[in-house]
Amino acid sequence: MPRSLWNGTVAFGLVRVPVKLYSATESKRIPLRERHVSDGAAIEHRRLCVKEGREVPYSELVKGYEVSAGSYVVLTKEEIAVADGPEAHVVEIEHFVSREEIDPAYYERAYYLGPGKLGEEPYRLLQAALRRSDRVGIGRFVFHNKAHLVAVRALEEVIALHTMRFADELVAEEELEIVKADKKPSKLETDTAQLLVDQLNADFEPESYENSYRDAVLEMIERKARGEAIEAPETRQTTPEGDLLSALEASLDNGGRRRSAARRDSPRPKKSGTLKRVRTRGDD
Amino acid sequence: MARPLWSGSLSFGLVNVPVALYSAIRDRDVHFNQLHGPDGSPVETRRVCAHEQREVPWEEIAKGYELEDGRWVLLSDGDLDSAAPRKSHTIDIESFVEQREIDPLYLDRPYMLVPENESAARAYALLGQAMDSSGKVALGRFVMRAKEHLVSIRPRGDLLMLTTMRFQDEVRSSAEVAQELSAAAAPSAEEVENAIAIITELEVPFDPTSYRDEHRAHLEAIIKRKRKGQKISAPKAQPAKPTPTAPDLMGALQESLARIRGEAAGKAGTATKKKGKKSRTSTSAKPRSDSSASRS
Repeated sequence: MPRSLWNGTVAFGLVRVPVKLYSATESKRIPLRERHVSDGAAIEHRRLCVKEGREVPYSELVKGYEVSAGSYVVLTKEEIAVADGPEAHVVEIEHFVSREEIDPAYYERAYYLGPGKLGEEPYRLLQAALRRSDRVGIGRFVFHNKAHLVAVRALEEVIALHTMRFADELVAEEELEIVKADKKPSKLETDTAQLLVDQLNADFEPESYENSYRDAVLEMIERKARGEAIEAPETRQTTPEGDLLSALEASLDNGGRRRSAARRDSPRPKKSGTLKRVRTRGDD
Repeated sequence: MARPLWSGSLSFGLVNVPVALYSAIRDRDVHFNQLHGPDGSPVETRRVCAHEQREVPWEEIAKGYELEDGRWVLLSDGDLDSAAPRKSHTIDIESFVEQREIDPLYLDRPYMLVPENESAARAYALLGQAMDSSGKVALGRFVMRAKEHLVSIRPRGDLLMLTTMRFQDEVRSSAEVAQELSAAAAPSAEEVENAIAIITELEVPFDPTSYRDEHRAHLEAIIKRKRKGQKISAPKAQPAKPTPTAPDLMGALQESLARIRGEAAGKAGTATKKKGKKSRTSTSAKPRSDSSASRS
């Protein structure tokens, strides 16, 4: 069992469900570290006091909030934690909503909730009620000295908790300047584009998308380790401008796919002795 | 306008649309600086070569990958691009799916795609329209900052929103969590009915603007008080709430329901009777005024 990140309570009416929080995700990034180009040595990050010019041990660090240029208010951990309030360990479900109403941009990080001590029964009740009603609970909690809006929803057997962004954390459309089209798409263009969308209609099968880039990078590293030169990347190609309709029609003839191009891009790595396994960070 | 995080082309069939990618989120957190306690002076992070023991400028730093034998392979940005030249510059749309099918566990970060020029804007609008009328979202892949991303793209107004997604091997299995439950008794039908009745009472249309980050405001208030030299102390311990030990679930459910219905009736002026089970259409079509009356 992975270690829980947080223990607390989900409150739902007067029903209190003791829960544990587990991460539902893990990063599979290739672990790359900073190295010095000329000698390949490790790069160390050192904290220097600007005034004294000497390295500062971790124990001498404090947190300061800059109230005006160069002027700080120092707060201790305990003082910062006061903002958490007494109910920080409780996720109070305030409302229930339909999942379809939640703009996907709001979802932040994903967790699984497990039952806490003596929590199995109310946990199973909440899971069953969320699942049967097909609704998502919305609440708030404080985690790592930050408040999060959260969505609590049932999966097949367990409950997932998503931290959500607050509305003012999303950038409004109006804040971007968007170039307007020179002319409106014609009826024929619209219809053809629609056909193309229909042709590429599929079910979402996450298992069918492999992270082939990771393999391609590892293979490139392997070649580089053997001393082979790395080819310069090909230059970016842009579309021939103007003839949108013929590009759409040609796409339809093509079965809509550019699979050949996508495949060529990411060769399967050959088995070799240098890299026996994909080393990834975050497998904790 | 901020600088784009990535630019390249959005490829849809044989149509290539030059686009730029902007973050759709902004940081609203209260940030602290690291200070040196004894003299209150700011602390800076310096990058130092471990071998030469001297500070190294940014240009002299490369990304390194450690081989199993302990040797390091140094990589330039060009090397990383060369691993997948097309993917580094093109978002290839591979299929169109229903948004509903994408489990939110897969969603990562939201971005906005913007067309680079007028002729790109036409193809961009066309793609948006086609998705809008079919009710589908596009799935594709591309590489940004040395990581491949599965992405979904959907129209929002005149804009195309892009959300990076996790690959399946980045989403953990919930099986171990489910095992913790195997010993527990299943809830009774009556308990579930009552819990669903509570859900129905507390159902509202999702209005994200109604939830404010009060924690942020509390923290800002604490900073202000401290600046004035006031003492910041933890709130007094609250009297303990009824503990969840040996819960009388049914009692808690019925009491909750009675209170919620009492409050809702008091606020709305009329006691609207609702049934435990409602179809999705009827509940989501509930007028906003009705739902805000039952709120809080």
